Amino acid sequence: MKRAYFKMAVGLLPLEGTTLSDFLFWAGRAHILGQVAAAHEGEAPGKLGDVLENARVRTAHDKRMLTFEAERIERALKGSGIKPVLLKGAAYVARGLRAGQGRRVSDIDILVEERHLAEAEMLLREAGWVGEAATAGEYDQAYYRRWMHELPPMRHKRRRTLVDVHHRLLPRTARLQPRHDLMMAAAKPIENSSLATFDAADRFIHSAIHIFADGAFETAPRSFIELYYLFDDLNAAEQGRLIDRAAEVNALRPVAGALWAVSHYFDAANAHAVLRSMGVGGVSLSLRTAIRLWVRGGWAKPLAGFALYVRSHFMRMPTGMLLKHLIAQAFRRRKPAKEARTVN
Amino acid sequence: MTPAPLASIGRREVRRALNKGTLRLHLGPFVTALRSSNRYLHDYFLDIYRDCPVSVGAGIIADYYLRVGAPNVLRRFIRPQVLPDPGFHFPTLPLPVHMAPLALEMGMNLSAALQCFRFTMFHAGVVAKGQDAVMIAAHSGGGKSTLTAAMMEAGYRLLSDEFAILRRDRVALMPYPRPVSLKNASIDVVREMAGEGALSKPLVGTPKGTVAYRRARASDIQAMDEEATPKLLIFPTFKENSSVVVSPVEPADAAMRLIAGSPNYQVVGRAAFETTMAMMDGLKAFEIRYGNTADSVKLVQDLLGEGTV
Repeated sequence: MKRAYFKMAVGLLPLEGTTLSDFLFWAGRAHILGQVAAAHEGEAPGKLGDVLENARVRTAHDKRMLTFEAERIERALKGSGIKPVLLKGAAYVARGLRAGQGRRVSDIDILVEERHLAEAEMLLREAGWVGEAATAGEYDQAYYRRWMHELPPMRHKRRRTLVDVHHRLLPRTARLQPRHDLMMAAAKPIENSSLATFDAADRFIHSAIHIFADGAFETAPRSFIELYYLFDDLNAAEQGRLIDRAAEVNALRPVAGALWAVSHYFDAANAHAVLRSMGVGGVSLSLRTAIRLWVRGGWAKPLAGFALYVRSHFMRMPTGMLLKHLIAQAFRRRKPAKEARTVN
Repeated sequence: MTPAPLASIGRREVRRALNKGTLRLHLGPFVTALRSSNRYLHDYFLDIYRDCPVSVGAGIIADYYLRVGAPNVLRRFIRPQVLPDPGFHFPTLPLPVHMAPLALEMGMNLSAALQCFRFTMFHAGVVAKGQDAVMIAAHSGGGKSTLTAAMMEAGYRLLSDEFAILRRDRVALMPYPRPVSLKNASIDVVREMAGEGALSKPLVGTPKGTVAYRRARASDIQAMDEEATPKLLIFPTFKENSSVVVSPVEPADAAMRLIAGSPNYQVVGRAAFETTMAMMDGLKAFEIRYGNTADSVKLVQDLLGEGTV
């Protein structure tokens, strides 16, 4: 049932009735109405038109924000010789990809070489991005810097926009260590700019890593739609080379997961073909089951969500370290909880 | 089904639809799907929204989906609480079950304030005489809702107690005539003017003090598709026993103050800027200080008269 919604999101809407209203409710909760609206250009009648127009206005703002902030980051790093790679949403918008159309975003992700990390942080700080309050504590700061794949998030003090500065694609402690150096070396500069993005195949591979190796399943529909478009935008030759490239950058398993998701949720025969060409099954039955139950919703959803949560932490760090981290998280002094508000 | 006034639908059917989440409230530009099994909410809704168009049944698309219910399973049974759940994360205070009407109104405000982008929203009460609208900007202790309710008694129609809803393509305000939210002393003031029957039962001891709601009248609901043109913008301050003081506000200053109270001005972007500036060109803005409601009503009437001559 929910599976049919994925194809509706990127293709044809049901015309009316319960299916349409149920689908729109689902899409709203999954924060993909903007993507639905982008895939269904043209005037829609009545309330459907209102809902899609509302989503278009909302996501047009996200797009403006990304474009503007990318330009500000470029300015902040100008002259330093640092050539950041835009990741995820910022890259899709900069390249005008379908994966970026109508996509909701809350932050901008960039990747710099690790040797440039300190300088990048200093320059961004000078340009107004300061440590985000939620992760300003000593433990979080130390944890990010020592073990993570990114600096603690930085928020601009006036514009309130959030930048994540990455120096690799997964935490230092993760079981999987993709070769971000090879991907950076193949990155393509954006015209008239010192910014770059991964090339098309690596964009798909990075998205796969983010979702399947870092466990970004909270917004599964959004993630899978993104994978679908990124894969669909690869030409036949790029699709043919995908598995070799995934092996080269040490990301076979997440790419297998991503190909499964694209073929399962969008009935994409070409994704299935590429997955089959890997020989092995690729994705474990337990992971597939957990994702399917999570996406389907209903009584099994919390259980599946918990399983995916445990898995993501297991992927991120060795077990002993995970225990220590969880204990530290549980016992650290609670900051006064942000005051709950009543609204007029 | 086509929407029909709530009072024309069987109470049991309404309760059943609220329980299942198949009830749709069609008010002004928005359709809201409501879901709650709280009986205090049912009673309140059946009474205070009795003239509002609703539909019952699956398959009707909504702008907003609001559930009002227990924050967790435990709180359904042990010292039960309610919370508005508009479908996105927002920190709200859980309330005791009998305060569900407050949770409902808060939830409806949250839904529109944070999920509407096809209009520019400002935090203001709006009433109109004919096509001419008066915006009463909100600020704490200003008496926005009291003045809004008082203007209704002076022959103005209610567009909204909470939001000035500005179109993106032209300078026009959309009505969204939900109940007027009254606090503490203003409850008695409005009850005196509008009569006991116009108000909901007061909720005592809420986080905002005592709260009651003044029903939007059938005539306000019937005019809910009639846009109005903003002619007057008021920044009120209530000060006990103060005499009336009026001072004009520069358009640029007034615009900045209004924009500061908008939940979506930045997101709407260019269209919000253009229509807001055009709106400021067509209205007069005043700061008023007053010590009793009758004075303020008279003053607003005078200012609107002057402003439109």
